[in-house]
Amino acid sequence: MSVFYDKFERHSQGAGLKGNSTHYCPGCGHGLAHKYLAEAIEELGIQDNTVLVSPVGCSVFAYYYFDVGNTQAAHGRAAAVALGHKLSNPEANVISYQGDGDLASIGLAETVSAAQLGAPITVIFINNAIYGMTGGQMAPTSLMGQSTATSPDGRSMYNGQPMRMAEVIAGLDGPVYVERVALFDAKNRRNAKKAIKKAVQCQVEGRGYAFVEVLAECPTHLKMSPEDTEKWVKECMVPIYPLGVKKDLATESWWKRPAPNFEADHFLHAAGATSEAPVRHCEAFPTHLNPTDISLKLAGSGGDGAQTAAMLIARAAINEGFDATHIPSYGPESRGGTSYADVHVAKDEVLNPASPHPDVLIAFNAPSLAKFGPTVVKGGTIIYDSSIVKDVPPGIDPGVKVVGVPFTEIAVDLGKAVVKNIVALGALQAATGIFPKATLTGAIGQMLKDKCALIPLNEEAFAWGVKAVEELGK
Amino acid sequence: MAQLKERPKPFLLPDYCKGCGRCISACAKHCISFDKEIDAATGYVPVVIDLEACNACGLCMEACPEPYGLRETPQDVDFELQDPAKLFGSKKPRPEPKAVPDTLIPLPKTEPLVIKGNYASALGALLAGCRHVFGYPITPSTEGAELMAKLLPKLDGTFLQAVSEVATVNHMYGSGGAGYPCMTFTSSPGFSLMLEGVSYMIGAEVPGVFVNVMRGGPGLGNIAPEQSDVKLACRGLGHGNTHAITLMPSTPQEMLDLTMLAFELTFKYRNPVIILGDGYLGQMTGKVNLPSAMIKPGIPTWAVNGDADHRGNLISSIYLSEQDLEQHNIYLNDKYRRMEENESRSESFMTEDAEVLIVAANTPARASKGAVQDLRRQGIKAGLFRPVTVWPFPVKQLVKDLAGVKNLVVVEASNGQLEDEIRLALSKAGVTQLPVMSHVRHFGGMLPQQTEVLAHVKAIMAKEVR
Repeated sequence: MSVFYDKFERHSQGAGLKGNSTHYCPGCGHGLAHKYLAEAIEELGIQDNTVLVSPVGCSVFAYYYFDVGNTQAAHGRAAAVALGHKLSNPEANVISYQGDGDLASIGLAETVSAAQLGAPITVIFINNAIYGMTGGQMAPTSLMGQSTATSPDGRSMYNGQPMRMAEVIAGLDGPVYVERVALFDAKNRRNAKKAIKKAVQCQVEGRGYAFVEVLAECPTHLKMSPEDTEKWVKECMVPIYPLGVKKDLATESWWKRPAPNFEADHFLHAAGATSEAPVRHCEAFPTHLNPTDISLKLAGSGGDGAQTAAMLIARAAINEGFDATHIPSYGPESRGGTSYADVHVAKDEVLNPASPHPDVLIAFNAPSLAKFGPTVVKGGTIIYDSSIVKDVPPGIDPGVKVVGVPFTEIAVDLGKAVVKNIVALGALQAATGIFPKATLTGAIGQMLKDKCALIPLNEEAFAWGVKAVEELGK
Repeated sequence: MAQLKERPKPFLLPDYCKGCGRCISACAKHCISFDKEIDAATGYVPVVIDLEACNACGLCMEACPEPYGLRETPQDVDFELQDPAKLFGSKKPRPEPKAVPDTLIPLPKTEPLVIKGNYASALGALLAGCRHVFGYPITPSTEGAELMAKLLPKLDGTFLQAVSEVATVNHMYGSGGAGYPCMTFTSSPGFSLMLEGVSYMIGAEVPGVFVNVMRGGPGLGNIAPEQSDVKLACRGLGHGNTHAITLMPSTPQEMLDLTMLAFELTFKYRNPVIILGDGYLGQMTGKVNLPSAMIKPGIPTWAVNGDADHRGNLISSIYLSEQDLEQHNIYLNDKYRRMEENESRSESFMTEDAEVLIVAANTPARASKGAVQDLRRQGIKAGLFRPVTVWPFPVKQLVKDLAGVKNLVVVEASNGQLEDEIRLALSKAGVTQLPVMSHVRHFGGMLPQQTEVLAHVKAIMAKEVR
């Protein structure tokens, strides 16, 4: 049994007898489960590639004994920790060793979800129907009528029913192998050893998640002799927790994970980064709108495309070498309610990304115009959808230029109402001269680079927006 | 015909028998019985074996729960030997764990990206070598997880949507413990749930990066921006004597840069690193430049990687003896002190001659920067001090910037959590003469605006003139 350390140095620094004895009480089932697990690891030749996750409970110190990689987990979280190991190093064999309080009570969500995920880890579940480490309190697997420190009059209906974990786990689609075994006699011990080995083998072969529930003895907290405890497990536990294979699928090996990729080109492609510089069309920062930092607000209903238009303005600005930001309103507000976007375009750096007093407002509906129109600064510009908004509301500074363009009508005429935001961008260009036309159409082309078929329609929408404003000026 | 090898009979050193008697009932030949006397070394009554009738079936050995209990009788060994290590032969030597160093992968110069803060942070993590991300969807941080779910399969990495934030942090405990750079995106209620695991990670010295895009609370609150997890990150990282470097970016670019820095620091100190963003920052789109290199991570010496080199390692936060745990705490405290000495970061903007010093972090710092410029144009000597690390608080720089300051204005989206950090840091630094302190605060999902900061400062200045 070379998988146990030759000296248990972590057990009280290996002093005296502790260097070669476990911390378990006489007759405890953990020692046997440890032994069978150690034998399985040795027989499968995986000692160097094994990580054992110790739980909280009596087996919290499993790492004293097993000469493998060891991680000690928080109470109930061993399966989640095991998955962290397995997904990070798919070559490692990861074993989560847990007791009933850990696995079936506090860690139930982690237990069930790890099982259903089905990634090949091995879970050894020691069910002794009682909390050992904390001193004999009721476990989720305590039997009805069983007297414990926290069910002194015996477990009753008011304490709930015992958890049959092997059946719960076997009922899931994730696991490939689930068995319940016991330790109370020679035949069952042989079975237990076999089952534990098979559960580890399922992982070694990359076949999937395996779970072995071991009915174990806790003479100390059952307040019985080791011999009587064996009898108690056989006579009282087994009827509630029937032994045997609960699930055994012939799933073939499927667990193959490539090593993570760190190639520069691969990463840049995934991130959407390019070394290709966009063509610049601006000769200088559009200081006629603001000397250093232009503040815009786009407002409408969810679905008007205000956010996309805002994004396009920001992208266009950055393509021209300026700084830009875009903050969307989001959440429930963006679903059918008011959707507004604050955009800043700055010569050097955007200091404040919010637009409480915009230089430019694009309003897609009447409430947006009413709400934000009065916030536009003197000398600013408002462009609104005149096919939706019939009357310009009061409160707008007389020094603000107000331009009505029928975004929706134009878009509908083009056959796609959704391009009204692009009509609005065309109108913005013509009404403010924020950037040359090619800057904005370039940004549109960039956005649609994977949907090239849509570019002509969008360019047409943009051109109509420009034209509508130019017509107004005539 | 090959000769059958004789099966070994059992052997026992009485000191390693706890007298449970499982072997007694296992033996069909009734060879085993309890001894008559208590073993002086153990206090247990061990079993004795009479090998006369033994047919070497081996069932007693299978029944013995002790690793060094009933064993096969060794051949050619002196029976008087009492040291099991010598008796059963020496084991595989414990390997000397080796470190696999990180490698730098140069990146060509690329055009700036136009992306949301959450995306920038995700890219920062990928650039820092993170290929293992665990998370549970929560607004307003979800874009980070969504982008990771999209990109990681392309990079042969792993994104796992965990069953909860509790599971998330424990996946990270496993992944970080295995020596891999891992991270999560979360928001305030999710961060609360992760704190148990953060305490374990700190105790067991497991690295990992937490990006908490803070939202309004308490309770379910709302999904709009707040900065009210400063106290959790600085003073409440789970149970025990815990601390972690806490970074507060203020632009999408910083979301990328500070996420990369977070990975460097989390491995440098073997301690989690927290990034606190506000909901606006996560959602804000801006210009983001990529760095000139990406990191391909190695494997640290201490990792429980699941390979032969690291077999002897242990990740654990248990120190059973009081003395050991005190020593461990002293060691951790020393680590926190080194973080305080070396990792305090801040930005000072127009502070040299400032009479009014505004302190703000995240998006409110951008609003405040705008306000400082407005105030300067109006002839008010204002400056901005922006803590980039809120823990450790960059108090040395703050003390420098406070020279000549008459008014200190703390701008934050919480009920004074940043201000508490400032006051505590100044108090610990022995600063007793504080300038007049006031604040601009919002909660519930609104961030202080540039106009509010401006109005506040003008109001306090007007009072002073009178």
